[in-house]
Amino acid sequence: MNDVVDRGGAWAVVGAGPHGLSALKNLLELGLDADGFERDTDLGGNWNFHAENSRVYESTHLISTKPFTQFPDFPMPDAYPDYPSHWQVHRYFRSYAEHFGLLDHLAFNSEVVSVTPVAGERWDVTVRDRESGVETTRQYAGVVIANGHNWWPKIPQYPGQDTFTGEIKHSADYKSADVVRGKRVLVVGAGNTGCDVAVESAQNAKETFHSTRRGYYYNPKYAFGRPSDQTADLLLALRLPLALRRVMFKSVLRLTVGDFEKFGLRKPDHEFFETHPIVNQQLVYYVGHGDIQPKPDIDRLDGSTVYFEDGTSAEIDVIVFCTGYLAHFPFLDDSYLNPEGDHPVLARQIFTPATPTLAVSGLIQPDSGQWTIAHWQGMLIATYAALRAQDPVAAQRFYDAIVSETGVRFTGGAEYKDSTRHYYEIAHQEYLRAIERDLQRLESMAPAISGSLAAAR
Amino acid sequence: MSRLRRPSKVMRMWDWSVPPTSAHREVLSIVPEGWIDEPRATRKPPILFVHGLAHGAWCWREQWMPAAAERGFPVYAVSLRGHGDSGGRKRLGRTLLRHYVHDVMQTITELPQQPVLVGHSMGALVSQLVADRYQPRGLALLTPAPIQGAAYELPKLIRKRPLDALKVVAGGTLPLRSEQLFTGLDETTAARYVDRLGRESPWAQYELLIPHRIGPVRCPVLVVGTPDDRVVDEKAVEVTAAAYGVDPVWLPGIGHDLMLDGGWEKALSVVLDWIDERC
Repeated sequence: MNDVVDRGGAWAVVGAGPHGLSALKNLLELGLDADGFERDTDLGGNWNFHAENSRVYESTHLISTKPFTQFPDFPMPDAYPDYPSHWQVHRYFRSYAEHFGLLDHLAFNSEVVSVTPVAGERWDVTVRDRESGVETTRQYAGVVIANGHNWWPKIPQYPGQDTFTGEIKHSADYKSADVVRGKRVLVVGAGNTGCDVAVESAQNAKETFHSTRRGYYYNPKYAFGRPSDQTADLLLALRLPLALRRVMFKSVLRLTVGDFEKFGLRKPDHEFFETHPIVNQQLVYYVGHGDIQPKPDIDRLDGSTVYFEDGTSAEIDVIVFCTGYLAHFPFLDDSYLNPEGDHPVLARQIFTPATPTLAVSGLIQPDSGQWTIAHWQGMLIATYAALRAQDPVAAQRFYDAIVSETGVRFTGGAEYKDSTRHYYEIAHQEYLRAIERDLQRLESMAPAISGSLAAAR
Repeated sequence: MSRLRRPSKVMRMWDWSVPPTSAHREVLSIVPEGWIDEPRATRKPPILFVHGLAHGAWCWREQWMPAAAERGFPVYAVSLRGHGDSGGRKRLGRTLLRHYVHDVMQTITELPQQPVLVGHSMGALVSQLVADRYQPRGLALLTPAPIQGAAYELPKLIRKRPLDALKVVAGGTLPLRSEQLFTGLDETTAARYVDRLGRESPWAQYELLIPHRIGPVRCPVLVVGTPDDRVVDEKAVEVTAAAYGVDPVWLPGIGHDLMLDGGWEKALSVVLDWIDERC
């Protein structure tokens, strides 16, 4: 192609959700040039409620509190509650972008349609203007992929599903309780979305059934007057071992919520921290009211009847599959992300062994808030990019060392249940410690980046 | 400089598990009309002033804020909790430097652009702790509280002002008198300023005694000291400047409170000229 615009040492950032914004901000902060591309007309990614690929619903609130959820260099306003709503979160991202001057470096309505390698480990990024349809290609020194992993629905198949006469929806289509109002509803899946939808259905539907594969620990948002995630961080700060933390968490649940089995819920078939935490104080409450009827996995469907594995059945108008999402990179040849089956296997969930100038941010599911990690992922990528510009040989040394740890997981000592849901699960403190070590390593390789500081200016 | 292990920038466990409570904040400002919505209309970056021990945002409002605004800078000053007209006075006995850092961070995130942070004395230490997690446009440290910890000053204090020393050790606020703060101010004005000084958190004062390992930062740094400072000695200024690899700027003839003392115009122009040139 002869009409490729050469962007020199600049990096491209795909997506303007929290991870894209953080990558962009940190690249710029370290003095690199960077362009961000967002397919929607506004930033925020998943948190941009009106966007086509936003998966938040009207009632979405954070399930982790501000201290770990916020960017460490841009705390959320004191006026926000412990668990802000998605509207507040979106406003927060906007003020972050404005404060750090990111809007000048962001192109909206700009869908990245292809990211292809060219000689010298550089990348051609082709972007389609969604209004005019015009495509332009620019060449970059590197690409940060931050297109999210919670937007491409994973829909299960059960025997007889095509005979089902009611409506089948995925939580991706669930924006408000209008979907379930006055109907007989089956919610499938006990992720945090599944539990939110089951609760909202209990408040609005005629009848609500909640089908889950196994029993889970339903954690309260508050226990003993403190947000639960802050207590979890306190126990980690005190360096309590996993076994002790398990005992403490289970006793707190016992004391505050009670025995799940007495509510008719199943006993968890696994240990605490072996599945992604569910934070929902209301689910058990509605089960206690009989407004949510717990059910095991679906066996088969027939007409308007759903049969469950325990032999019971129910008449259903709407099924809402809250069965999660899969990562999806429609603009990139999968092989560059070292796929294993249906998911990429990376080093630190960021670097791919296939190429040194491609980085992924946001392919994580922490047992905590997320954007403190977004910040440090962005900082690690930016520092690495700065080192590449300054000393490619040293950068390659760092890259080789880090990709030799491809596939290493950060589980905090727990063994995650085998499920697509845990592909990107990380124990947040253990993960951040690893990122910090990497950052220290990078900075020691390039003192000018860590800023032999003011003197350098 | 002590060989302290640098506290982790990444693992801020106490901030995650026991976050600072919020307190009402007094923020004074003089900004050009329409600047908030169109921050790039002025080419000048905003300035955020952070006051020192027992002071409040008012100390900037007297001379420096109007004069800097006159030169086209959008200017802000925050009163740390328990100071000036900010809230949190009742909890002052439980207030730590990290609460002050929180107050400054909250003020920063309300600004439409990254500000130049200008900190005075204890406020300079707070500003450095802020810059450890957030990159400002520039960092100006005026007669800064010693980052190596002020404990080395204690014997001198005990010798010269034993009662003051006793008071500080017992958790009282370090008494600041006009002869310590000013060199060239008439008595009435000086007395008026000293009258406005409030209490300081005993815990924050204790924290001033211990060493702080901070920096490096990526933004430009200015360190200003004066040989006629009777609160912060020259050594404190030199150690701070060295930590950032810069030479301090000395302003003889001005006292510790260089935003109020006679000669404040000179001190302000040093800061503003530096911002114009470097930030």
